[in-house]
Amino acid sequence: MKDKIFAAKCISCGMLSYPTHFYCPDCGETAFEAVPVEGEGKLVTFTRAYALPLDYAQRYLTLGIVEMDTGIKATGQLLIDNPKIGMHVYATVGPVREISGHDIPGLIFKEKRRK
Amino acid sequence: MRDVAIIGAGSTQFGRSQWSLLKLMAEASHDALTEASIGDRSVDAVYVANMGSTRNNRQAGIASALVDRMNLFPAAADTIENGPASGASAIKNGYLAVASGMYDLVLVVGGERMREVNNFEATEFVSYLTHRYAEYIYGTTLPALAGMFARLYMERYGVTSEHLAMVAIKNHANGLLNPNAHIRTPVTMDGLLHGPQASMNNPYVAEPLRFFDCCPVSDGAAAVLLIPLDMAGKFSKTPIRIAGIGQATDTHAVHERPDPTVLTAVRLASEKAFSMAGLEPKDMSLAELHDAFTILEIAESEEAGFFPKGEGHKALERGETKIGGTLPINASGGLKAKGHPVGATGVSQIVELVYQLRHEAGERQVKDAKHGFACNFGGFGNNVVATVLSRGEE
Repeated sequence: MKDKIFAAKCISCGMLSYPTHFYCPDCGETAFEAVPVEGEGKLVTFTRAYALPLDYAQRYLTLGIVEMDTGIKATGQLLIDNPKIGMHVYATVGPVREISGHDIPGLIFKEKRRK
Repeated sequence: MRDVAIIGAGSTQFGRSQWSLLKLMAEASHDALTEASIGDRSVDAVYVANMGSTRNNRQAGIASALVDRMNLFPAAADTIENGPASGASAIKNGYLAVASGMYDLVLVVGGERMREVNNFEATEFVSYLTHRYAEYIYGTTLPALAGMFARLYMERYGVTSEHLAMVAIKNHANGLLNPNAHIRTPVTMDGLLHGPQASMNNPYVAEPLRFFDCCPVSDGAAAVLLIPLDMAGKFSKTPIRIAGIGQATDTHAVHERPDPTVLTAVRLASEKAFSMAGLEPKDMSLAELHDAFTILEIAESEEAGFFPKGEGHKALERGETKIGGTLPINASGGLKAKGHPVGATGVSQIVELVYQLRHEAGERQVKDAKHGFACNFGGFGNNVVATVLSRGEE
């Protein structure tokens, strides 16, 4: 299983985008460098979803949108008991869904506790 | 470009149907064709809106199949799959075909038979709308996207669970007046939120959204018949003109939007539709908005220009969006009560506006309706079609 999820950094203007696009959303160029989505960010919004697709055995999934310190935003699962808008989180990568017998890697956000 | 009018409209009952998808579509089409009294005049083209027949009903090429079922040979036939905005997209394509002069008589049908699969499969099927690599793999469903949207919206604009319930209460009340509605049960604030049974009757689906904040999974079909306006008088005593159509797209992954509470495609599509019609939001007698989730009715009412951003829930609270208010929203019951057979919805919104503008909407008639607006919202707002209809000059 891959251990990283990648955003695209435009070689021409440096803009980071996630997910990737054929043309850079900023300058329109087509050459990108893969940059891992990693590090810290803050929780923009979240939900606890109970009506799940058949691939999941658990009762609910906690999903959220995180704004990373690098400026990009990403959707992922939250492994956080009591999420709150604006809370500090960090990105990890782990299995997020099983499709056709394969574990699919994705972003799992956890709470960043202040020291 | 020629002006285009609707001379016939039809709809099946929405809900769980014993009929096959083709039977549903054929019945709605038959109603539209019969209403228009076209005699032996043949349909030049058929546009069929549908999202899931290949997956859910084991039938691909649904437009060709419908022509066969209805013996409309040799009409041109195209299937339009544009997610939950398929219906209004198909009407747009029918409009373009007539306006351009390519065809004179065009049948547009939207239909979906979702109850052929179970609820898990239906949820999974609709979740194919999400971005496969950035959303879908996480178990993201449409209710989950709506839940995340609602959470932020409520925090930012002071919208409460009570406001969301008010949308459901209003639309269920309207649905009671619509014989074709899927859900014809009144609901109350106590029943939804505050009574002893509320948490059992109305559990969370995707927090903060509860069961009654979400539209049902429905079967159904709706159809309209289009013709150049200058020919319409021969076939209908009250032709309804398609005055404006606007369409816009937005990012696939919701998180990529600079502000995830802004539905840019709704705003742009609405602006284009109003500008083409030469009308403004204040000119509308009523609106059919895409309330797949209660929060969307409030958000769309703002983005379409009826109320300032953050004020939609206040207008709702004041009763302005009820039948009898200054801008009735979802007099049909909306997706919330009328139901949401995805491919049918955009056509069904137009069918409701046609009935209203002809002043034939029965108990739910909006008084003196002259202009109507519809917003058909695809994906989670990544493809939106807005339409303005007008009753002819009298």
